[in-house]
Amino acid sequence: MATETLEKKTDTATLEVRGLHASVEGKEILKGIDLVVPQGEVHAIMGPNGSGKSTLANVIMGRPSYTVTAGQIVFKGQEITKLRPDQRAQLGLFLAFQYPTEIPGVSVVNFLRSAYTSVKGEKVSALAFRKRLKEKMAMLGVEDQMVARYVNQGFSGGEKKKNEVLQLAVLEPDIAILDETDSGLDIDSLKAVAEGIQRLIGPDLGVLLITHYQRILNYITPDRIHVMMDGRIVLSGGPELAHELEQKGYEGFRSDLGLEPAPKETAKGGPA
Amino acid sequence: MPEAGIGFKREAFDALMAGDGFDAGSLHRFRERALAEFEAIPMPSPETEEWRHTDLREFDLDSYEAYREEHPADTLDDVKPDLLEAVGDVGDRAGLSIQHNSTVVISHLDPEAAAKGVTFASLDDIAHTRPNLLANRLHAAVPSDRSRFTALHAAFRTGGTFVHVPAGVKVDLPLQSLTYVDHDGLAVFPHSVIALEEGAELTFIDRYVSPDLGRALSDAVVEIYAGPNSRLRYVVLQEWGQGVTHLSVQRAHLDRDAEVRTLAVAFGASLGRAEAESLLTGDGSTSEMLGVYFGTGEQHFDHRSIQDHVGSQTSSDLLYKGVMRDRSDAVYSGTVVIRQGAHKCNAYQTNRNILLSETAKAHSIPNLEILSNDPVKCGHAASVGPVDEDVLFYLQSRGIPFEEAERLVVFGFFQEVLDRVTLPEVKGSLERAIAAELEREPEEA
Repeated sequence: MATETLEKKTDTATLEVRGLHASVEGKEILKGIDLVVPQGEVHAIMGPNGSGKSTLANVIMGRPSYTVTAGQIVFKGQEITKLRPDQRAQLGLFLAFQYPTEIPGVSVVNFLRSAYTSVKGEKVSALAFRKRLKEKMAMLGVEDQMVARYVNQGFSGGEKKKNEVLQLAVLEPDIAILDETDSGLDIDSLKAVAEGIQRLIGPDLGVLLITHYQRILNYITPDRIHVMMDGRIVLSGGPELAHELEQKGYEGFRSDLGLEPAPKETAKGGPA
Repeated sequence: MPEAGIGFKREAFDALMAGDGFDAGSLHRFRERALAEFEAIPMPSPETEEWRHTDLREFDLDSYEAYREEHPADTLDDVKPDLLEAVGDVGDRAGLSIQHNSTVVISHLDPEAAAKGVTFASLDDIAHTRPNLLANRLHAAVPSDRSRFTALHAAFRTGGTFVHVPAGVKVDLPLQSLTYVDHDGLAVFPHSVIALEEGAELTFIDRYVSPDLGRALSDAVVEIYAGPNSRLRYVVLQEWGQGVTHLSVQRAHLDRDAEVRTLAVAFGASLGRAEAESLLTGDGSTSEMLGVYFGTGEQHFDHRSIQDHVGSQTSSDLLYKGVMRDRSDAVYSGTVVIRQGAHKCNAYQTNRNILLSETAKAHSIPNLEILSNDPVKCGHAASVGPVDEDVLFYLQSRGIPFEEAERLVVFGFFQEVLDRVTLPEVKGSLERAIAAELEREPEEA
């Protein structure tokens, strides 16, 4: 099925994960993931803590501390499994971090301009870039002072996530992976961030929305939902799956699917 | 024109003293004594704590020339273009002094500042015309017998700069002194004596520049006397070329409520050893010491600092940041001393290092000596390590290639210091220097 999609839609930027196994520090976390996210669709990955959701996000983006032991990641018909993270981003992939990193002494505006230049492959004047940035800031309700500050330094949880969404808006990737962009936010920040994402969703953007909670799905309706447990996608379905999950809980799903109960020690937050 | 020849023997000294226009008159006895000290003090031993990180036992002093005279210039138009280029874009200034090899070729002070009573001239001139101004200032903060190199300096120094700002006088624009060396094998002795009377304000920039040379020695001394309630910003830009050995001692005496903010930029020289000391004698005095260094190739840096709190309610804050690449190595060792009877003092000391290659090295050695029984606020922090992997991944995940990501991180790292630099010209010149270091081709390990 995966190859078929690829052959049919060479113009769309499809992200495909095929039989992906990956480990961190010798421990296997992903145990065979298959996934197809076409541009223009929103796919949600839901699952309990420790199921490997964040690992999947980081492996797709090429974090060096994660090792792919089997399988492939294909983007726009090109195998990217061995590409550097910057090459993947230049191809049109984006990862919104669960825990955005602080970059001391580098202002958001300088960081974004450097990223924009790298991704778009063209020099842009400071003035033209400012104008573009201002438009996106206005659309997302980001205040001027935030972009003058050093990246994520002293940012509140909400500001950090807003900053990730601002980067997404400016860099205009084809596929964006949003790694728990809804976590650590109060209700107002969640609403603001989710509405920002909703504004960016359209035919040009495919989204892989990784979430632990159902609440962001009150704002964003996915085309597909995948349930991930113990490093595998155990079930995929339409948006109605979210409500089922809500009612049964992950453990209820486990027994429905005839899976072993979750081992206690793995019920920890995924790697940053 | 004196012919000092090679090395620092008695004959070389006598030849210098016989020279025309030399300041032998008022300082002769002092220089004689320094020569005797130089002959008596052995080369610093790496077995002592002070010189543990810089081994000069093989350093052949006798291969250097003590003196190289150049023609003085009447106006800036007569100054060689290389020198003017080396002065750089420093914006408006109240005065400029240029030492070319052993001679101060021009020293100019804005007439407005002169009318306020500011003195700005070469040390040689002052020794001739107003030697009393040097009493308790020349080699008072940095005595000649401190080391073999300070003794050598005291005996053989030519040129140097003297600044005196009278009580209550504020010099709005910076004064700048440039020492430029382009004679291979020369030893120079840059020396700045900066004296501020009560309530005076001044910004002073020392800049050391040379092309790459086979071999040269810069044996430098900076003496700062900040009178009560005076404000001094002192910047030293060490931009010597390769081949230069730079050994310097800078010491500031702070009187009551004085504020001295220093910035030391060390990008040049093959070997750079710089000692910077603040003696906070006066109650309520404040010292800020910023340092920035960037090592490439096989550069060796040895930075030492002392924040010595004698007076009460004194504050000091030191921040040294360095980036090391290729096979370069840096040592920072700093001591905070809170003397007995010094009450309510604050002292902070931070040294951070980024290593851009596996073969580069940096060490950080902080020391606290609290002799006061009074509660003091002291803090020190040190770090050495490569660029944070998470930061690199974050930048790369935004499409930024490794080299550009590293450039952003390095600029960001120095930004903490740049944010505290108030002079736009110094900030600009520092930014250009960082960029130039980053653009150098990395050397194969």
